Amino acid sequence: MAGMACASAVACEALVCRIRRQPLSIENWNAFYIGLIFAMLLPAGAPWWLAIAGGAVTVLLGQALFGGLGSNPFSAPALGWAVCLVCWPQFMDVDMALASLPINEPLTQLKYFGVGSLWQFDTMQLFLGNQVGAAGASQAAALVLGGVWLMSRGVLRPFIPLAFLVGVAVTAGIHWSIDPTQYASPWFHLSTGSVMLCAFFLAPESGPSPCGRLPMILFGLLAGAMVAVIRIYGVYPDGAPFAVLLANLLTPLLDRIRPRPFGVLRRNHA
Amino acid sequence: MHRLWKEFSKGLWKELPPFRVLLGLCPTLAVTSSAENGLGMGLAVVFVLTLSNLIVSLLRKMIPPKVRIACFILIAASLVVTVELLMQAYVYPLYQTLGIFVPLIVVNCLILGRAEAFASKNPVLPSVADALGMGLGFTLSLTFLGGIRELLGNGTVFGVPMTWDSFQPLSIMVQAPGAFLALGLILAAMNAFSNWYSRRHEETPPRALEAITSCSSLGAEPMVVLNGDDANGNGNGANGR
Repeated sequence: MAGMACASAVACEALVCRIRRQPLSIENWNAFYIGLIFAMLLPAGAPWWLAIAGGAVTVLLGQALFGGLGSNPFSAPALGWAVCLVCWPQFMDVDMALASLPINEPLTQLKYFGVGSLWQFDTMQLFLGNQVGAAGASQAAALVLGGVWLMSRGVLRPFIPLAFLVGVAVTAGIHWSIDPTQYASPWFHLSTGSVMLCAFFLAPESGPSPCGRLPMILFGLLAGAMVAVIRIYGVYPDGAPFAVLLANLLTPLLDRIRPRPFGVLRRNHA
Repeated sequence: MHRLWKEFSKGLWKELPPFRVLLGLCPTLAVTSSAENGLGMGLAVVFVLTLSNLIVSLLRKMIPPKVRIACFILIAASLVVTVELLMQAYVYPLYQTLGIFVPLIVVNCLILGRAEAFASKNPVLPSVADALGMGLGFTLSLTFLGGIRELLGNGTVFGVPMTWDSFQPLSIMVQAPGAFLALGLILAAMNAFSNWYSRRHEETPPRALEAITSCSSLGAEPMVVLNGDDANGNGNGANGR
């Protein structure tokens, strides 16, 4: 299924390059990459056409319409996910797709059965990926390993992912400390759903996220806080990609925070 | 006759209200969740627009330039109330689906725009031709947009199923974001088509911007203005004399 999403994404990219009479840009693996990330957000039992349509939406609406890689105002896989979720909620629902399993997705359990029903989940097991969830997004530990490897190689600057996780943890932690019987613990929030995928792969995408240290940190904190807010107060059980899309909207604003040019004195305001 | 045809036909493609000059976008985006809604809304606008242009054109010598906007709105409002009552009487289900957007025709830019830019400066017959052309273009655009959204979002056109059985509708298309998506894609397609067409016929490509300027400053263009004196008077009035 991941293969089909990737194939559809790459095919659309090739088509767009052809239409725009640009040299074929498949070799940079970008279309493959966003198709793969999108597939990781899908539930494992999703129908084949959902993967193909979603891959196409991801590339066409997410990137090609805005001018290709780097010009997209939104994180393309998150956009593809959001469109699919609004269009076909019954197929994007992990529990519906895997209805034969006896246990539910942890976040759905939290949403509909409350914190009291969470005793069946062990946080460590959740973190290691032993949970029902989207195809790739629920493998929290593996995603963290991948993210840390990217950071150690210097591909990924650590500000957005870390601020994102801190945002989730702090917002969920405040709620948890107010009333632990009503709100789930921050560890639970961090290890379920697509938080890790969003933190390390969706939010820091170079095009739609700000540059500069302070804007990056603010961006990550805001997105992370939005994740917890959507989960606690929103309609959807997991809103991590929605939170990333919302934060993407703030990027032009955050980019107005400029670094002080070298050699310029700090202005003293009275 | 030729001139009448010209006034009529410019609303069909060159200054197509929602897609070329982007007037009347509120109903265009809000009520086109199905082809039937689009058609109903378009017909209501045709009615109001034609009668409003007719009356404004008849009264154009009497309306004082300083309060002309209020007068135009008054005329449009009376006509919209008429339409509203007619719809309540004869097509009540449609009236209920269109909801608040029927009364909102009063503040539709299209009505006011045509009254201000055309009907208040031109005789009756060209004004009516202009209104009919614009209204027809508006109706066709809304029906087309509604048809596309209904087809993708619901699998039907005018309530008739058009797709295969296992088709899973893209329900985002009948929701609010779908309106923006469809409108943007149609605009892009129209621009691409006119670029292709003019390149083929080796003319300069028409720009949406030019269509807008020609619409708003219609008085400055001698070829459309049939009554130059009025245009000057109104032009000064527009500057808040």
